[in-house]
Amino acid sequence: MIVDDSMVIRNRIERLCADGRLPHLSVVGRAADGVQAVEVARRERPDLVTMDLTMPHMDGEECIEALAGLLPETRILVVSALSDKLTALRAIGKGAHGFLHKPFNDDQLVEAMLELMP
Amino acid sequence: MNSHRLTSDDIEVFSESISHFFATLTEERANVRSAYLLDEHKAPIVWDDFNGVITVQGSHVGSLTFSAPRALLSHVLLRMGEKQLSDDHHRDVVGEIANTLSGRVRRHFGDGLRISPPQSFSGQSQRVEKLARSAAYAIPLRWKHYEANLVVHLDVA
Repeated sequence: MIVDDSMVIRNRIERLCADGRLPHLSVVGRAADGVQAVEVARRERPDLVTMDLTMPHMDGEECIEALAGLLPETRILVVSALSDKLTALRAIGKGAHGFLHKPFNDDQLVEAMLELMP
Repeated sequence: MNSHRLTSDDIEVFSESISHFFATLTEERANVRSAYLLDEHKAPIVWDDFNGVITVQGSHVGSLTFSAPRALLSHVLLRMGEKQLSDDHHRDVVGEIANTLSGRVRRHFGDGLRISPPQSFSGQSQRVEKLARSAAYAIPLRWKHYEANLVVHLDVA
């Protein structure tokens, strides 16, 4: 599942999931903010979530906490422009499993997702 | 609120952020030129086809605006693999660029810098709310043969 308030980023991650380098993954849902993400995750129960942090309505940190409580088996990869160490540590503390800084290239995203693949 | 001008070190962080963005995403570096102060009475003079605005609060107050022509953003969208080049896609990507540039800057200014989700608009259809008292800086850049600007308007809170 892809969570990002940017449509272009959601599209990009979805294309990478479909290009054959992540053969065991298919996108089961997309969300543009944390509130949508919780709804979609409750319905689709994703194995892996890519999670932006700066989003309207419910930000990524709150969403990570909600998903970690709701679906403890789900792996969460934060994909965010916020590149300071404290943000990364806080996200991990809320229940995220990995952190990828924006901007990223295709190889970096694929590698980060493969590391968290269930 | 103190009126505090950004230092040359601060400006360098924004310039590095621009270089890093284009180098990572497109494998082609942007040529970032010297920053200059904008005349507040004449602003906005660098507003281009599309503008992505990040509002900053906390340890600093103000805004960051990435302002770019349609052609530059179309090229970035194509590099990202995007097939659709609608106005919505251009507004989305200009906001995403502003968001990405601001994120790296937070590492320099510290965790006390709070960054809003981006707002995007086309041309001069909307003005950026003036949150800082000091004059804004424009950091011009050239990527391929396109010109764009990052406008930094920040005070220390």
